[in-house]
Amino acid sequence: MTAAGPGAPAAGRRALRVPRWALILAQLSPALLVVGGLFAGGVGLGLAQSLGYLPFLGGWSWNLDAYRAVWADPAVRASFALTFRIAFLSTAAATVLGVSAALLVHRVGRFRSALTSVLSAPLPVPHIVGALCMLLLLSQSGLLSRVTRAAGLTETQAEFPALTADAFGWGIIAEYVWKESPFVAVVTLAALTGGVDDLVGAARTLGARPWQCFRHVVLPLISPSVAATSILVFAFTFGSYEVPFLLGRPFPAALPVVALQYYRDVDLAARPQAMALAVVISVLVAVLVAVYMALLGRLVRRAP
Amino acid sequence: MALAALLTACSDTAGDGTGAAASAPDAKDWDAVLATADGQTVNWYMYGGDDNLNTFVNGELSDRLEKLGVTLNQVKITDTVDAVNKVLAEEQAGRDDDGSVDMIWVNGENFATGKQADLWTCGYPENLPNAQYVDFTDPAVTSDFGVPIEGCESVWQQADSALVYDSEALADNDVESVDSLIAWAGANPGRFTYAAPPDFTGSMAVRTFLYDTADNPERLLGAFDEAVYGPISAELWQRLNDLEPSLWRGGDTYPASQDDVERLYADDEIDAYLTYGPGAVAVKAADGVFPASTREAVLDVGNIANNSFVAIPYNAEHTAAAMVVANELLDPELQLALFRANGAYPAVDLESLPSVQRAAFDAVDLGPSVLPLADLTANTRPELRADYVALIEADWKANVQQR
Repeated sequence: MTAAGPGAPAAGRRALRVPRWALILAQLSPALLVVGGLFAGGVGLGLAQSLGYLPFLGGWSWNLDAYRAVWADPAVRASFALTFRIAFLSTAAATVLGVSAALLVHRVGRFRSALTSVLSAPLPVPHIVGALCMLLLLSQSGLLSRVTRAAGLTETQAEFPALTADAFGWGIIAEYVWKESPFVAVVTLAALTGGVDDLVGAARTLGARPWQCFRHVVLPLISPSVAATSILVFAFTFGSYEVPFLLGRPFPAALPVVALQYYRDVDLAARPQAMALAVVISVLVAVLVAVYMALLGRLVRRAP
Repeated sequence: MALAALLTACSDTAGDGTGAAASAPDAKDWDAVLATADGQTVNWYMYGGDDNLNTFVNGELSDRLEKLGVTLNQVKITDTVDAVNKVLAEEQAGRDDDGSVDMIWVNGENFATGKQADLWTCGYPENLPNAQYVDFTDPAVTSDFGVPIEGCESVWQQADSALVYDSEALADNDVESVDSLIAWAGANPGRFTYAAPPDFTGSMAVRTFLYDTADNPERLLGAFDEAVYGPISAELWQRLNDLEPSLWRGGDTYPASQDDVERLYADDEIDAYLTYGPGAVAVKAADGVFPASTREAVLDVGNIANNSFVAIPYNAEHTAAAMVVANELLDPELQLALFRANGAYPAVDLESLPSVQRAAFDAVDLGPSVLPLADLTANTRPELRADYVALIEADWKANVQQR
C-alpha cells in the first residue's frame, strides 16, 4: 500500500467503501474461525463433560459431582503444591538467568552474534527431547552419576542424589530452566536493541552510576517484554504435560499429568473428573496470568 | 447458544453405537471378505514399545498380507486407552462408518471399556477360517479378564507372567516363592520394584502378591465379594507397605510404566522385575541390552496368564481387511514365526495342529534366558474380573502409593 504511487490511495478509497475494521476482520476470519472454533469448541465440550454430559454412556445429568470428586482426591491435592513449585521456580530461575545472559551478551561487542546463536540453540529443541536428555544426564544411571562414580565420589548408583522421579521436582525444573532461559534471553536481547544504548549513554553523561542506569533506564525498557515472556513461561510450565510425565513421579504428579491419568482411566465414568481437572487448570492459569499482569502493569508504570 | 447448538449436534449421533455394524462384511462368506479387503489399508493401533514386535509386524506379517492385497499400517501408541479414546471421540463426532481406527490390540480393561460404550464389531471371530485352530471352549478365549467376549474380539497371542532376574544377583532359592523374593529384597534394598498401577504390568505384579497373600486364590475368581476381598486385601496392603523400604528408591516412589522398569533393569539400577512378556527377554539378552546372566522363574504361587486380542471398532472403514489381518494372525505358520522371532506364545491350540507343526513349536529354543513354554505354563492362574482389577488398582493407590 505505502509503496503505491501518489494516485493509488485516492483510487483505493473510491473503489472500496468497506470500513477498515470489516476488511481486517474478513481477512482474519479463516484463521479466527479455525482457532476460535477449535478452541471454543474444545473448551465448551470439556466444560460440558465436566458437568456430567456423557453421551457415550447414554445420557447426562448436570451436576458438580466431578468437581467434588476431584477436590476430594489426595492425588489432586498433593499435586497443587508440586505444580505451583515447579512453575514458580522454573519461571523465576529462567527469568533471572535469561535476563542476565541477555545483558551480558549485549555488553560483549565482538562475539555478540555468535553468542546469540549459541543462546538460541535450545529454542527449536522439543521439550520431550529436552526431557529425555535430562533423563540421560541426571538419572541415577545417567551421565553425571557415571562421572561421579568414575571420580570416586559415589560408589553405587543409588548414592547419587535422585534428581529425576524425585519428590521436589529438580529434574523437571532443570529442563524448564534449560529450555526457557534462552527464550527469555532472546526476547530481552530484542528489547535491548532499540536505542537503549543511546539512552544509557545520555544517563551516564548526566552522572548516573551503572546501577542507576540499570534500575532507571534499562529495566523499565525491558520489563514489559520480560514480564510478557515470563507470563508465557509460567502458563506453559503450569499446564505442560510431557516433561513432568517423563521426569516426575506417578504420585504426586503435576496437575496436567493427573488430568491425563483420569482421562486414561479405563472406566469411562471417570471422564468428567478428567475434564473437571482440565477446566480447573485452565481457570487457574487464566487467573494467575491476570493477577500477574495487573501486578506487573503497576510495577512498570511506577518504575520510571 | 453456541454451546447448546454443539450439544444438540452431538446428541444426534449418540446412542446408536452398533447401528453401522449392519454394513460389516460377513466372515461366513470368506471369499466375499477377501474380495472386499483387496486393496484396503488396515490402520492397526497397537502398543509400539516393543521394537522386535514392530519389526515382525512390518516385516513378515505385512509381507503375507501384501499377497492378499491388504496393506498394513501399524499405528504405534503408548497406551491402548488412547486408541479407545480416539474411537470414542469419532463416535461423538458422528463418524459412524469411516472411522480412522480399523483394529486395536486390546485386552482386559480396555476391552471392557469399549464394550461399556458399545464400540466393537462383534460376531466374526468364530467364523474366521483359522478359527479351527482356536479352542473356543477355553475360558481364556471366551472371557477376557472375566468380561464375556461374545465374539467381539479375536485372540492372537498369549501372555504369561514371569519373574526376570539377574542370576549373578539372585540365587535359585531367592526366586522360589514370593516370600523368598521379599527376603532377598530385604537383604538387598533398592534392587527390586514394580510399575505403579494402573500400568498393565504393574497391576499384574500387585495381583501376583495378592494371589500369594490369599491362601486359596480361587476364592477371588468370579464376581466381586467384599467378604473375601476385604480381609485378604488388608493383609496385602500391609505386606506391600512392609516391602516398601526394600524397593527401588526405598519405595518412596514407583516407576511410572513398565518401560521405565525395564530401563532400570537395563541400566543395572534393579536386579529383578515381573513381566508379561517373558519371550521377548531372549532378544534383549542376546542384543546385550540385558545382561547375559538374565534368567526367568515362575514363583511358586504360579504365574498369571491372559490372552491378547484384536478388536475391530464398529465404525472401522476397512472392516473386511481388518478381519483378514485377524485371520492371518491365527495362521499356525505365522504363530510359529511370531514365537520364534519375538517369543510371543501361541494363541492357537497346539493340540489342534498336525504333529509336524506341533513338533516345530516344541523345537523352538529361545535361549538360556527364557523359560521353556512347558515350565512357564505349568502352574498358570487366570486373571481376575476387570472390575476386580480396577478396584485393586484404586485401592493400591490409596493404601500403598498415597499412604
